[in-house]
Amino acid sequence: MITARSQPTFVVTFAVTYAIFYVVSVEYNLALFTYHPALEEFGFLVEKAKDGPAMYWYGWMATSAIAAFVLAALASWVPDGWAKRVWPGWSWVAPLSVMFVFVYILRRFFLR
Amino acid sequence: MIVALLILHGLLAVALLGAITHQAISVWVPMRGAAGSFVGRMRAVPAKSYVNAIIVLYALTALLGGIIYPTYRLSVRIVLEQMQLYVPNGAFELKEHFVALGLGVLPAYWYFWREPQAAEHARTRAVLTALLAFIVWWGFLVGHVLNNIRGFDL
Repeated sequence: MITARSQPTFVVTFAVTYAIFYVVSVEYNLALFTYHPALEEFGFLVEKAKDGPAMYWYGWMATSAIAAFVLAALASWVPDGWAKRVWPGWSWVAPLSVMFVFVYILRRFFLR
Repeated sequence: MIVALLILHGLLAVALLGAITHQAISVWVPMRGAAGSFVGRMRAVPAKSYVNAIIVLYALTALLGGIIYPTYRLSVRIVLEQMQLYVPNGAFELKEHFVALGLGVLPAYWYFWREPQAAEHARTRAVLTALLAFIVWWGFLVGHVLNNIRGFDL
């Protein structure tokens, strides 16, 4: 149960863990499901490309959203004293940092 | 059908771009006195009034983008790779990841903008707004360039 008092802990934890899980999901391909656009088929977890490319983007987001929701829900149970120490700025520091990580990961597109 | 969805995606993106830009300007360079000019009135808009619209528009625009993405993956990206257009291809890869990260920020954005707004969260609100504004502008410009790439003489 996410009460009004635990909402800040929940949203900050969600923003941080979602960003981290997303970049980890992309790097290690931890997609919850795969979409094969040419076949218009979904497959559970990571599947190799069949007839045409395989799309993992939706699966990466699903993995990240579920993992972040669970962790944020758990974090919202921490005592108030701890929750008050959570810096709200982490809600933008983490995603912004991950954006820079993606710029680094994808640098090969821009440095050819 | 895909063309209609692409146009709708673009129209929603324009509405989102307008909303987030107004909010970002009013947060970062607020109008202190009377707003007489066009720019002044832009700086004087009530930032809070855009929050729900931005969340709904962001989610809808991302959803529509996700629906038309397979067509891009099959019809456009393969051509970009064959033509060795690495920069537009990479820019779109960044767009896909930035938009996904923006979705994860929306709950925090909603929370820190809701009433009553705590003064100590003013910076968090401002930076979250700027972050979303950057993502929306990046997504809009990259989508626009790729949609019209034949006219860019690349």
